[in-house]
Amino acid sequence: MEIISLTVNNKKYDVIVNPHDTLAKVLRDKINLTGTKVGCEQASCGACTVFVDGKAVQSCITPAMRVDGSVITTIEGIADQNKLHNLQEKFVEKGAIQCGYCTPGMIMTSLDFLEENPNPSTEEIKEALSGNLCRCTGYVKIIDAVEAYVKEEKNLHPPIGHLPKKEDNKFKMVGHGRPYIEATKKVQGSADYADDIQIKNALFTKFVRSTHAHAKINSIDTRKAEELTGVRAVITGKELPVKFGVLPISQDETAMAVEKTRYIGEIVVAIAADTEEIATQACKLIEVDYTPIRPFFDMKEACEDVGTDEQIHGHCKFNNNIHKKAELRFGDQQDGLAKADHKVKVDFDFQGINHGFTEPHAATAWWDENGLTIITATQVPHYLHRYLAKVLEVPMNRVRVIKPTVGGGFGGKSDPFPHEIIISHLSRILGQPVKIRFNREEVFLTNHGRHPTKMSMEMGVSNDGDFEVLDADIIIDGGAYGSFGVVTSYYNGVLLQAPYKIDNFGFRTRRVYTNKPQCGAMRGHGAVNSRYAIETIIDRLAEKIKMDPCELRLKNFLDEKSLTVGQYRITSNGSVESLKAVMERSKWGEKYKKLPKGHGIGVACGFFISGSALPIHWNQYPQSVVHLKVDLDGRVLITSGASDIGQGSDTMLAIIVAEVLGLSMDNIFVVAADTTLTPIDLGSYSSRVTFMAGNAAKTAAENLKNQILDAISILHNVDISELNFQNERVFSNDGKIDLTWSEAIENSTRKVGALKSSGAYNSPKLGGNFKGAGAGLSPSYSFGAVITEVKVDEETGHVKVLDIWGAHDAGKALNPLAVEGQLEGSWHMGLGQAISEQMKFRDGLLVNGNLVDYKIPTSKDTPPIHTNIIETIDPEGPFGAKECGEGAIHPIIPAVANAIYDAVGIRVTSLPINSEEVLTAIKVKNKNLETVN
Amino acid sequence: MLAEKTYLIPTSINEAIVFAKQNLGSFKYLAGGTDVMVNRFQGNEESPCLIDISKLSDLKGIQKEGDFLRIGTLEILEELKFNKSIENEFPMLIEAALAVGTPLLRKTATIGGNILCENRCLFYNQSEWWRESVGYCLKCDGDICIATQGKNACFSELVSDTAPALIAMDAEIEVLDIDGINRVKLEDIYTGDGVTPRNLSETAILIAIYLPLNREFKTAFHKLRERESLEFTSLTSAIAIDKNGKLKIALAGVDPKPVVVKGTINDDKTTLIKQAIKGSRAVDNDMYSRKYRREMISVYLNRSFKKLKI
Repeated sequence: MEIISLTVNNKKYDVIVNPHDTLAKVLRDKINLTGTKVGCEQASCGACTVFVDGKAVQSCITPAMRVDGSVITTIEGIADQNKLHNLQEKFVEKGAIQCGYCTPGMIMTSLDFLEENPNPSTEEIKEALSGNLCRCTGYVKIIDAVEAYVKEEKNLHPPIGHLPKKEDNKFKMVGHGRPYIEATKKVQGSADYADDIQIKNALFTKFVRSTHAHAKINSIDTRKAEELTGVRAVITGKELPVKFGVLPISQDETAMAVEKTRYIGEIVVAIAADTEEIATQACKLIEVDYTPIRPFFDMKEACEDVGTDEQIHGHCKFNNNIHKKAELRFGDQQDGLAKADHKVKVDFDFQGINHGFTEPHAATAWWDENGLTIITATQVPHYLHRYLAKVLEVPMNRVRVIKPTVGGGFGGKSDPFPHEIIISHLSRILGQPVKIRFNREEVFLTNHGRHPTKMSMEMGVSNDGDFEVLDADIIIDGGAYGSFGVVTSYYNGVLLQAPYKIDNFGFRTRRVYTNKPQCGAMRGHGAVNSRYAIETIIDRLAEKIKMDPCELRLKNFLDEKSLTVGQYRITSNGSVESLKAVMERSKWGEKYKKLPKGHGIGVACGFFISGSALPIHWNQYPQSVVHLKVDLDGRVLITSGASDIGQGSDTMLAIIVAEVLGLSMDNIFVVAADTTLTPIDLGSYSSRVTFMAGNAAKTAAENLKNQILDAISILHNVDISELNFQNERVFSNDGKIDLTWSEAIENSTRKVGALKSSGAYNSPKLGGNFKGAGAGLSPSYSFGAVITEVKVDEETGHVKVLDIWGAHDAGKALNPLAVEGQLEGSWHMGLGQAISEQMKFRDGLLVNGNLVDYKIPTSKDTPPIHTNIIETIDPEGPFGAKECGEGAIHPIIPAVANAIYDAVGIRVTSLPINSEEVLTAIKVKNKNLETVN
Repeated sequence: MLAEKTYLIPTSINEAIVFAKQNLGSFKYLAGGTDVMVNRFQGNEESPCLIDISKLSDLKGIQKEGDFLRIGTLEILEELKFNKSIENEFPMLIEAALAVGTPLLRKTATIGGNILCENRCLFYNQSEWWRESVGYCLKCDGDICIATQGKNACFSELVSDTAPALIAMDAEIEVLDIDGINRVKLEDIYTGDGVTPRNLSETAILIAIYLPLNREFKTAFHKLRERESLEFTSLTSAIAIDKNGKLKIALAGVDPKPVVVKGTINDDKTTLIKQAIKGSRAVDNDMYSRKYRREMISVYLNRSFKKLKI
């Protein structure tokens, strides 16, 4: 141990360090400055950037001993006491902060770079930020913020306020872009993420993970580990034998491997120790004896019959590894095929991808007289609540799940996870808090990302451009466990029945188990790969009938207020407006088939559910409940189980309540996602939160308003219809009654005390009466379109996306700044799947489980994104709103592929679109041309 | 018991060597540390003693010395662009330096460290647990090369971007090794063996780089990577031709050592390309396939010849 002296944010510290500690560790764990985030520990994400003697360094690779005697500035030292730095203000104002996990690093890197170059071009900003990964924003608003700061510093423009207000906006709160209510905290580094919260006396947990893809565990020797000083508990799978899984129909997972392991990376032993280092050391002392079983890595092979000893799970219905089979047929596909003048059938092959959220999983659990409390980075406190109770065999009233600030999820934090169960168990047996934090490799091994998929799709069109038939045969690779896979299987098929009218439609889908980390839900759940297939096939069909692909799409869109062939109820539908918006902004007509060789433009459309109408658990509970309470201070307390994971749901709830009650944000306070304090909400998945929790909040606010109306009406003898709520006042039409909000509350609470109200949301009964009719049902659907322009290097096959024009029908943008952020993030994430991201395996072992080899596009790889919000006012959404967080990812990927065709005349049938395959296809095409000539 | 760890900060080269000799077999020098610290995180580097040489002023500075420009090995990659002599005489070095990693990394990384950057392989640059799962490879004390599924040689790639640029411009380096201070051609320190990629002894310190002045180099530089930032190279190609028509090609990313082809501007270009491809022993240990990387050698060299109008 050594002592080093540091001056951090103008305060002197003498710190005892291990000689090889990193600066990040010292700052976070010893000085408790947790604004400096750790996302990769390998200098590949930039979240840990701080200044050492005025220069930016990545603290995760900076040895603490090196900076002995140095002056260090962290994000906590950027604001001048409570006054934000102007750059921080711009980040807040421009909506550059979503989950906020990359924000401290972004601010530090930007400040460092602006010192060197105070007047940068956009390209220079992109270059400077290209070592800081962001998964939420597509960098658009971050760059906006830096540019706005630069302009303001140079007095080029008067101070910029919030987004220009729409003149026709009849709402005071809804429809005005505003920063998240917690943005200031995030930009200062004071928002607490799971690993930032230090519960005193907490032990650390590390896992021994399987080195075999499929193997029987013969024995586990834990003795040496148990003897190591500082080790408090060593546990194996047999201690937690109860099975779980997010879907009641897929209870196939245990917290740790019991008797056998099913993928390389599965947890076999868990060790709690006094320090992370001791736990790590102890893991190396564990000896596990395995007998390998034949592993399955290929999804087609997994469909074949195997010996019972070789099955990954014994519960599969047949002697194969098929987890779920489903088939649905509508109309008459044979007739459709006969009617079609042109048919195209294509085989596709998609690699799996990972959510890539910047905050690794982390959690702390402890037990006290109230039972278990766990603070964990989760999107679904409710489901975790259920399964902690189930696996730990305690009633739900002995479990409390608290979601702190979460650094992105995208579906990757929407399952109950083994580590959450394990630390809860360890804490129970040890009587001490226990914490866990994953490194990036563990995040990748935990996965639950997009399923690798193989599919064959056939589609037919008439010469007039009517879609006559669609058929798909799909296999998805689920990995070792179920997760959301049954839903994913269905979504791959059912979500093909819109946004186009196709009467003769059917699909078969299978999900197989393989010996790889499990796949689950990821942004655009289940429908992304099949959307790629159909949209690239439509492009082919358009060519066959010599019709502009935009025109062909416009001709086939479903109408608003209609039913799809599988009885989805379409309410408002902005498909036409979306497509027309991107056509106009991209100058489609001037570019399509007219760009120089190597340049191309492509289009695609999409749609998505606004929350699953059917709950995962069949019960009568509401899907979302919001409670309001207002007491003598006048501040309305919103409690909701909805999980803000960076998408802005807390702010959305506040906007809705403020709008209904005529209040400003100052009179709103949100407490969310704590299963003891907040009412039920199923969580942040399936793009349900704005629609469902938003509706619940609106109802709750209306109920509260009615109580106030009743009280004032009686007290002042005025008819309810005469009263208005606006500008923090309650007043009558004739002006005789004009109460401040405080007076109104005082009037209403006298004799009864605090006012309380509730609102609940349940989806209406929807859909047909056939098996599988429930899949993809939603009270509302979003629609959208994307056009991209690309440049293809014909000698290397490298594809560069030059521009993205996107439009998305969000019903009504409650917070346009946040909606834009969701759309831009979706398009950026889609860009990654299109051109660079994949989970690459060799014999079941993930070879690129880090942020260098798993290639999330950097700021330099992200082209200008031109965002269009389309508003169609959904009849049932809160103020007309519907989802905007997932649907936008669908069209971007096929739009890139279609643009590549326009550029170089080749069709790509696999993802990611890699340079090598593009080059091979170009060569084949050129050779064929030579042969023809 | 956890091993005793030390972190030493010498104030002179001599002291560094003393520290090194005291810790033979158990130390690692640290300059910027951007490569070593990541390798330590993954357990590929576990020396209990770290000797931080980043404060040695003798290893800093850029100045002309006779017919050469001397660049101290501790010079920071991102800062090379501010030096007028480099900008005027050796712009390819700036191009190469700015192709490394990310701007953030380059603010810490040194040119010496980049030259000595540890060779990489998809089957080596992984966590301890991962390497155990795959069966340890040659480079981490295993018996066979995993990438080639059994060869008894290591093909981990040289991933330095500045090394090929420097080599193409005939850079020499000054090394303090057990036999004293030597000045050698940069390409001569590489062995071609991925396990021990350089023929320097454990205590050796790279002091300075010498680039020949007044050669009037015309150059072309390319780096194959999926993204425009945050990437190790999958193929770096550097070509320099001087005022006398001397031509030198240096490639990284396709062999454990730099692939060097020398010639003149009058040589047959197809032959030069063939020599370069033949010299590279790329294997499938990269996110790009071996086949593709070899193919790109030809594309990049042709582009370079075109740019250089030769």
